Amino acid sequence: MVVLRAGLCPGLGEEMLHLLRANGIRTVVDFVSSDLEDVAQKCSLSYKALVAVRRVLLAQFSAFPANGADLYEELKSTTAILPTGIPSLDQLLDSGLYTGEVTELMGAPGSGKTQVCLGIAATMSLSLKHRVLFLDSTGGLTASRLYQMLQARVEDEEEQATLQRIQVVRVFDIYEMLSALQELRDCLSQQVLSSVGPLKIVIIDSVSAVIYPLLGGKQSEGLAIMMQLARELKSLAREFSLTVVVTNQVTRDSSTGPLKPALGRSWSFVPSTRVLLESKEATWEKASTQRVASLAKSPRQPTGIQVELNIGDVDVQEPSPVTPT
Amino acid sequence: MQREVGTLPLAPALRARLVAAGFQTAQELLETGPCGLSKEIGISKEEALEVLQLVRQECQGDATRSAGGSGATRKCTALELLEEEQTQGFIITFCSALDNILGGGVQLTKITEICGAPGVGKTQLCFFYNTLTTAMIMDVLLPLPCIPQQKRCLRNHLKALESFSLESILSHIYYFRCRDYTELLAQVYLLPDFLAEHSKVRLVVIDGIAFPFRHDFEDLSLRTRLLNGLAQQLIITANDHRAAVVLTNQMTTRIGQNQSTLVPALGESWGHAATVRLIFHWDESQRLATLYKSPSQKESTIPYCITPHGFRDVQPPAVTQEAEGTEMNPRKRPRREEEK
Repeated sequence: MVVLRAGLCPGLGEEMLHLLRANGIRTVVDFVSSDLEDVAQKCSLSYKALVAVRRVLLAQFSAFPANGADLYEELKSTTAILPTGIPSLDQLLDSGLYTGEVTELMGAPGSGKTQVCLGIAATMSLSLKHRVLFLDSTGGLTASRLYQMLQARVEDEEEQATLQRIQVVRVFDIYEMLSALQELRDCLSQQVLSSVGPLKIVIIDSVSAVIYPLLGGKQSEGLAIMMQLARELKSLAREFSLTVVVTNQVTRDSSTGPLKPALGRSWSFVPSTRVLLESKEATWEKASTQRVASLAKSPRQPTGIQVELNIGDVDVQEPSPVTPT
Repeated sequence: MQREVGTLPLAPALRARLVAAGFQTAQELLETGPCGLSKEIGISKEEALEVLQLVRQECQGDATRSAGGSGATRKCTALELLEEEQTQGFIITFCSALDNILGGGVQLTKITEICGAPGVGKTQLCFFYNTLTTAMIMDVLLPLPCIPQQKRCLRNHLKALESFSLESILSHIYYFRCRDYTELLAQVYLLPDFLAEHSKVRLVVIDGIAFPFRHDFEDLSLRTRLLNGLAQQLIITANDHRAAVVLTNQMTTRIGQNQSTLVPALGESWGHAATVRLIFHWDESQRLATLYKSPSQKESTIPYCITPHGFRDVQPPAVTQEAEGTEMNPRKRPRREEEK
């Protein structure tokens, strides 16, 4: 809904604007959807001029339909499948994280979401030599754990370079997170070529920590901001061929109900893939590092598949690059 | 400059009006100018000017950050973060087993939560952190404040060894008593200013965070919202002022299909607020501490005991004269004449 302004396109002058406004046509949508003959009569403007302006506005603001075959070719050439470094998780995700999509990891506290995110960041940086952007909103990112994960695989000099490729931004507020994403967008659209490597992955741990303070109570602007964030993430993923990994909490309906993902139904449409991480044991009295990951939502695999992983040694593996077929 | 109007930190009503008037990006707002803006939306010129100033600030902030300036964001590479962490200290106890499972002690810039049944030793541990000496701490000993909840809670702060006396320790403890959740929230939101004034403070202890939120709260969604806001504010404070935050929480019973389990109070979403979670529980007559959630340490359990000197490791079993007194409740320390 763009407001009509003078100079928006050639032919749209101040006087035309005043006349149009006087007749209730204020935005591009109003202009383009109105009957031009009518408008020409009421505003006493030339019909030809109006048609010319309309053509330019349509060219500028409308979306163009694409051919299915072209879309397929484009997807084939721009989508990459990035391995996570955890073979069982890759199996669950149909060989890895797909770019252009948002993947969600959810789980109860202590289920291993941050550990899996750290493992993914380490793999991307070490094996694929990609830059990683890690937005941390809980304070759970400990670089010493990351270092521990890398130490097992590689020598000193490489460790330093690997750690330098992982950029950490601490955002504890929804507006800070939106600023950080805007900054990323500006960086990528200016095509700032970095000597460090391409940026293909954004990890956000966790997205519910910044949204929860806005939801609930009697105010509804929390939902609006949440959907703004959702739109930003999805458009970043699609436009720049990134893969976005987010972590989410789980809640219960009542104290005895089953676990369900937090942030409600509106958010459940945002990620294309959802993985639930759970501890194998039911209570906290028996500690272990075994976890079970189950697929809750996926566009490619049947849901309900479960795999086991061990977050104790989320080791960084040497995967072979997978190309989509 | 292409920042969407919906993502700017404005009042919700104002934001809704801007979107309804057709403004999409911050660029359009800036081009319209204050007079045009006030006419379009129907707000006063002063308000329009304020809005534009805010927008300009946000956009400039974005621009400097993307151009490589540091700005106000907390941005760094993992390598820099590692270096920071390695030079940071821990807050330790005399119970080496506990420090080991925590990876050295209570970490600065993180929130540590201690949950446990009544009488298991949570407040004792808080006292202990407050009165710690510095000899073993790798780093600077600095004053620590804490926000106590119920009766006791002493802010302690660590001072250098030369002036280690009762008065000096107690004088570095800042004690706040909060009677209900409004006071607690107010205190937490005022914490950044307090810490800015008293820059030597390194530990904030909130003893009993569950208490004001558990009774008299009808609206549960409001409670979740407030708790999450509180958690975010605490982590911002911990991060910006390089302080450690220690909270104590109560336990509640979850009644399942055939059994009931003790779980930490305040619900599932609160579990995500703390970075590190310790659960203290009983096993027969032995107190155990379990590290349940930590970003860098494995889950493990250690035994500990509460002595007249405070929180300590379990000593190897020695012949004690209390063999006759086993009918006494092991959860209560017997009162004796000699206290020191």
